[in-house]
Order: sequence, then structure tokens, then C-alpha cells
Amino acid sequence: MSTTTQARRNTRPQDSSVLHTYETLIVGAGFAGLGSAIRLRQAGIRDIVILERGNAVGGTWRDNQYPGAACDIPSNLYSYSFAQNPDWSRAYSGSREILSYVEGLVRQYELAPLIRFGQDVIELSFDKASRRWLAKTAVGQTYGARTVVMAQGPLSNASFPDMPGIGSYEGHKIHSARWDHGYDFAGKRVAVIGTGASAIQIIPELVKQAGFVKVFQRTPGWVLPRPDYGTPNWMRALFRRAPAAQSALRQALYTAHESMATGLIWRTPASRLLEQVASLHLHSQVPDAWMRRQLTPDYRIGCKRVLVSNDYYPALRQPNAKLITWPIATLSPRGIRTVEGVEHQADCIVFATGFDVSKTGTPFPIHGLGGRLLSEDWRHGAQAYRSVSVAGYPNLFFTFGPNSGPGHNSALVYMESQIDYIVQGVRLVIEQDLKWLDVHEGAQQRYNAAIQRRLAGTNWNSGCKSWYLTEDGFNSSMYPGFATQYRLQMRRLPRGDYSLVR
Amino acid sequence: MQLDLDRMRDKIKASQWALADIDWDAPGRELVTNDPDLYPKLKAFMADLMWIEHVGARGFAAMAKKAPNDTLREIYTYFHAEEQRHANAEMALMQRWGMLDGEGLPEPNINIRLVVEWLDAYADDMPLSVLGSVIPMLEIALDGALCKFLLETVKDPICHAAFEKINADEARHLGVDFHVLEMLGHSPVYRQTLQMAGKLIDPRLLIGILAYLPLLNRMRDNLVELGLKEERLYEAIRKYRRVGGTPGGLRNPWFQLISRHGGWMVNRRNRLYHVPVDALVRLTGKIPPRLLPQIPSWVHELTWKPTA
Ligand SMILES: Cc1cc2nc3c(=O)[nH]c(=O)nc-3n(C[C@H](O)[C@H](O)[C@H](O)COP(=O)(O)OP(=O)(O)OC[C@H]3O[C@@H](n4cnc5c(N)ncnc54)[C@H](O)[C@@H]3O)c2cc1C
Ligand SMILES: [Fe+2]
Ligand SMILES: [Fe+2]
Repeated sequence: MSTTTQARRNTRPQDSSVLHTYETLIVGAGFAGLGSAIRLRQAGIRDIVILERGNAVGGTWRDNQYPGAACDIPSNLYSYSFAQNPDWSRAYSGSREILSYVEGLVRQYELAPLIRFGQDVIELSFDKASRRWLAKTAVGQTYGARTVVMAQGPLSNASFPDMPGIGSYEGHKIHSARWDHGYDFAGKRVAVIGTGASAIQIIPELVKQAGFVKVFQRTPGWVLPRPDYGTPNWMRALFRRAPAAQSALRQALYTAHESMATGLIWRTPASRLLEQVASLHLHSQVPDAWMRRQLTPDYRIGCKRVLVSNDYYPALRQPNAKLITWPIATLSPRGIRTVEGVEHQADCIVFATGFDVSKTGTPFPIHGLGGRLLSEDWRHGAQAYRSVSVAGYPNLFFTFGPNSGPGHNSALVYMESQIDYIVQGVRLVIEQDLKWLDVHEGAQQRYNAAIQRRLAGTNWNSGCKSWYLTEDGFNSSMYPGFATQYRLQMRRLPRGDYSLVR
Repeated sequence: MQLDLDRMRDKIKASQWALADIDWDAPGRELVTNDPDLYPKLKAFMADLMWIEHVGARGFAAMAKKAPNDTLREIYTYFHAEEQRHANAEMALMQRWGMLDGEGLPEPNINIRLVVEWLDAYADDMPLSVLGSVIPMLEIALDGALCKFLLETVKDPICHAAFEKINADEARHLGVDFHVLEMLGHSPVYRQTLQMAGKLIDPRLLIGILAYLPLLNRMRDNLVELGLKEERLYEAIRKYRRVGGTPGGLRNPWFQLISRHGGWMVNRRNRLYHVPVDALVRLTGKIPPRLLPQIPSWVHELTWKPTA
């Protein structure tokens, strides 16, 4: 089998002159990495390797298996248009179902032979002489490739937050993105820190299982109702027989989410309307005025990620749940001490505190032309051309690169257009046997000046602190526009903005 | 008084304490419980004090919503919780001294109830200029007069241990309070005066004043009953005028009004002020409690228990 010969080749002493040079190397086997492999192969690129640090595919959906984990964009839209699934069991499928969809992609497109598990990329450098990228991994191997696709995921690194006293806590700690399925919550006093997208999915489940759940909130989010439903059998049958019907539903969902952008991205009358919907949702589920005050954000809707849930507020009102908005002073051996002076004792603390998002650095050192270092170039905030290419780093392509984040629509819609753009780039390099394809510095600067101008008027830059922004308030995460605009700009790789070196 | 707010915020975060840091069962309670003369008066005083802290806490919660920048918002969020901590710690002292009937909250008097109702209904609608000028006055009276007096009157070492921590918090509160008071005076005087005039005919504020004045009078009388010298209160007012009387503070008409009012309130001989306000105290005493709305849920967050 080719994997074993491959493995043998890779464990040989690393001599770069005999190193195999892949046409494309992909970092990460999540949605982005696997989708890139599928589309590249369909475009005739055959010699691909995918390096994955874990021992299974699926990325986000392999890691986030906490109770209640689900997507918050309807599955029909949170899936690839080129691989639609007629069998989604619900409008918003759970994590395991999404993971099986990803595993299904691997089977259907026979991707397994391309994937090298246990290969954690720790460095990438462009070797001008052999005009290829060299990827070093933590186990000491090196891979060579003409082109590289970065698909290591925007939210793949999670760690316990640096809170005072965290080292002194003697109870059980669980991070939402590294769930401990062995822990039995029955009868336990559980503290949940954080009230973001993961937390509001976990809390209703924990309230069902645990003895008592205390939720520690720093900033409330806007919560919209979630129009969830179980898919009726007739619908699945219809989608299986008439895929066009499913495409139509996907298109409708897409349009619905696009229309939300008017309210979520910019301050418009639609934002007011969405805030009113959220506020009505809150009023209908929380009768106590003080609790509503605690749960009402004092920033505009859209500034931070909008939450969707029908069962979060009701869960907080259960007799075995309590919302705590006192700031946390410190963790102590027995629990959490808040500033009002009380020690809230807990057998287990669930950290739903989000991810380590690098907005100014890179997940590992990336050396481009002339040895330049990407984290240096990105010191004041990450920048790219159309979110995919960075000047000075030829033949390197980013998925989920700078300013590619959707605030209102499926990440996969954006990802698909990035992938199709990347396929054009990779084909150029391989088919025309280019030494390299490098975006012009000037084109990148013009593109970013325009992006930052447009961002200035958005809700993300309207004054709240969020993980979208750097410490200095620079927004290198989000794309300020409709998905349709983004897709349009990604349709064609403009050769004029690149230097093609033969 | 100019202050680096970012540094202040960091200092606040680095100076946290909890009820569990104090040994509420340590010896010394009998210094209070064996003094039959002091005991009932102290009980009334502690209840007032603890309620005032709680009312102050709610005031800071309202200010957090008005804060002009993130740092100040965060500071006020902490102060909200710290005032609650003071109320909790004072309740813990009352518990230590057997002053809590059952396990519940000390009964709030009618004037406290009225202020609580007002805060619940309107505090969030009040501009920073009103809250930011009243709060320093209350804090300086608490810090300068009440707490010092309490420590001179009560010998229980645990009481001293608790108030050492409370006073350290209060020193930071005062620093921020007067910084904001100064800041508030920075827009043109005529505009501030117009805004104040506009606010003073706002019925919501008027109701607030009507609730607040009798509370002050009632507390003042309870204090004097306990043996507090009026001179102490004058000192507090003078301190408010001195520390707040910066160029910015002097330009703030709310500061002017409140410091003048402080003088009237302290001076028992000012009949023009005290006759009607005392009448209000008697009048409010006639309000049947069942006519008041339910106590808002935030009040039930108070606790004397160090752990939960
Ligand atoms: C709880 C949660 C819910 C979400 N829900 C939605 C939703 O409803 N809708 C939506 O649009 N988006 C959602 N997202 C965003 C989601 O991250 C993306 O939609 C998408 O799954 C990202 O896919 P990816 O392949 O880019 O990254 P990932 O899925 O994170 O995959 C990256 C892979 O790269 C591997 N890797 C990382 N670093 C290295 C390295 N150095 N070397 C080798 N391998 C590496 C990781 O192990 C991982 O397998 C959600 C995210 C989370 C965390
Ligand atoms: Fe206080
Ligand atoms: Fe205070």
C-alpha cells in the first residue's frame, strides 16, 4: 500500500536532494484541507500530501464534541455545494453528524492515501534554489512541495486561559474544545466560564445532567432564536431523488443569510430590527427584569459573533442553574472567587473560553523569499491579497486567511471560493512549470487599504472588544461585505497582480 | 485629581479579597454582644450601613452603563461588585454578632425601600453627571465619618480586620470618584448648567431626590443617636468640597449643588431644610409596605456566607 511505502520513505534520513517534491502540500485535514484536496484532484493535480497533526480527520468537528455541539448555520449551507448531503437529520446538525459527513468526503473521494497523521508542521520555508517549500514536522520529518495550502484552521488551537489562580484550582478542568467524555456530571457542582457560541450550546445540556450549574458571564451576547427542526423523511427522500430541490433550498438559505448581512455587518435599520428580535426573544424567555438587564449587551448587534439558541435562556432559569455576572477575581483550590467576595465552590470548571486566535502572528514560523519571516511582516496585523496570497511568500495559499471571515454566512461558502481560487494558482504553477507565483506588493497594499477603509464603517469596528480585533483594534479577521461580493472577487485569479517567474 | 485609569484598573484587579479571607468565628464577638447599651444601636447602624453599601453598588452598576470608555466601564463593574462585597462583609459581621434574625436580610427601613425602588426603576436612565457627583459625596461620608466612627466605637478585632480591607477599597473608589467629578466639569459651564436645569425638572430625578433626602435625615439621626459627633459629618462635607473643588469640579454645577446640600443636611439648625425633610420622613413612615412593589431580585444576591 502506498501509505506504508510513503511512511518508509519519510522515515529515511532527511536528504533534501532526494526528498520527494509533491505538487501540493496541504497543512490540516479539516474541511478546508480536504476540500482543497478534492478540488485540486478534480483539476488534475494528483501528487498531493496532507499533513495532519491529529490522528483523525475533521478538525473543528473532531475536536469540539462537547454535549450540545452543533453548527449554527443550517447544515444545508454548512456543507460543500459539490458534495451535498440529502440525509441531514436536522436543520442544524450536531457535531457527530458533521464529523461523519467529513469522514464521508474522505471515503467518497478516496483521500485517505494522501493523509499523513501525526505530522505537526512546525516550520515552513521556501527554498529558492530548489523552488519548493520545505515543511518540517514535530517528529523530525521534512516534506517538500511546489505549492502549499495552509488549512490549519482558524479556531484549532485551544488552551486554558491565563486566569489568576488557575494553577491552584484542585477540581476537574475541562476545555470545551477538548471534551472529557469520561467525566460524570451527575450530581456535580459545575462552573462554566464564558458565554459565547460554545457555552450557550453546552449549558442547556449540562443543566440537564449536573447537580448545579453556575454560569460566569463577562459580556453577554445577542441571542437570536434558532429555527431548528428535525428533517422529515419526505424531505430526505425528495433530496435524494431530486438534488435540484436541495440546491434550491441551499440557495434560499444562502439568500436569507446574505440579507442578514445588511443588519449584522453595518449599522442600518435592519440592525435595529435584529436587536428588537433578540430583545423580544429575551423578553419572552426571561421574566425577571434584573436578569434581562444582565443578559442585555451594551454594544451593537454584529460587533461580536451573534449567537443563536432557543434553549440557552430557559436553561439559565432552571432551579439548578444560576447566572453570575460578578467579575472573577481569582480561581482558588475549591472554586471561583468573584469580586463580590464569595467563593463559588465547584467540582468541575468548564472553560468555554474560546480559542487562541493569531491575528498578528502565524501558527508556526513561515519563511518566504530572502528568508523573510511572516510573523514579522504581520507584526501589526495580518494582511493578504484577497485573503489568499501574501507578497514575498510565493506559491503559498491561505484558506481562512486575513479578512476572510464571514459574520453572517457559512464559512464553507467562503472556503469554497478560496479553494477554487487556490486551484487556479496551483494549476498555474504546475502546468506552466513556474519557479514561482508571487503577488505584487502594491496590489496587496491597494487591496488592504480598500478593505480597511470599508471595515471602518462596520459593526465589528464599532467599539466593542472581540476576538476579531488585535489589541490595537486592527481588524484582520473579517471580510467587510456580502458573501456574494467575496465570491465575485475570488472567481478569477488576476494574473496581472502577480509576478509569474519562470 | 488626575489619575491613570488603566493603572488604577490593574491595581484594583491586583487588590482583590474575599469573605473567606477573614475568620468570622475568631474570638472577640463578645466585645459587642456583651455591651447591652451599644448592641441595639449598633444593630440599627449596621443595617443602615449595609443597605447604603448595597444601594451604592446598584449606583455603580448604573454608572457602568454610562461610562465614556472601556476602562472606566470595567472599573465601575468592579466597584459594583466591591460595594456588594462590603455589604456582604457587613452582613457577615452582623451574623457574627447575632444581629440577623434567622438567616435573612436585615429589614430595610421604608426610606431604604424607596431608594431601592427608585434605583431599580430609574438609575439606569440617569446621566453620568448626576450619579458621578452624588456617589463621591456618599462615599466620603461613609469613609470619612461612618467607618472611622464605627472603628472607634467597636473593639471587636474582626470588625477591624474587615474594615481595613473595606477602607482600602474605598480609598481607590474615592480616587476614581474624584477623577470623574473633575472630568465631568470639563464641558462649558453654561451647557452643564442648562443640562442640570433640564434634568432637575425631570420627574424621575425629582422622585429620586424625594426618596433620598429623608433617607439621609433618618440615617443622620440614627448616627447621632449612636454617639456620632456632628462635627464629623461637617468634616466629611468639607473634605468633599476640598478634594472635589478642583477647577473642573468647581465648574460642575452638580458638585456645587451637592456640596451646598451637604451643608444643609448636616446643620440641624437649618430649619428651612430640616422641617420639610423631617416631615417627609414621617410621611414616608406612613406608607403601608404592602403598597410597595416587590423587592427587585438583585437585592436577593446579598449574602453573609463566604462560600456558595
Ligand atoms: C464549536 C464551533 C462551531 C462552529 N460552527 C460553525 C458554523 O456553524 N458555521 C460556520 O460557518 N463555521 C463554524 N465554525 C467555524 C469552523 O471552524 C469552520 O467552519 C471550519 O470547520 C474550519 O475548517 P478548517 O478546515 O479551516 O479548520 P479545522 O477544522 O480547524 O481543521 C484544521 C486542521 O488542521 C490541523 N492542524 C492545525 N495546525 C496544524 C499543524 N501545525 N500541522 C498539522 N496539522 C495542523 C488540525 O488538527 C485540524 O485537524 C465553528 C467553529 C467551532 C469551533
Ligand atoms: Fe463601600
Ligand atoms: Fe465605595
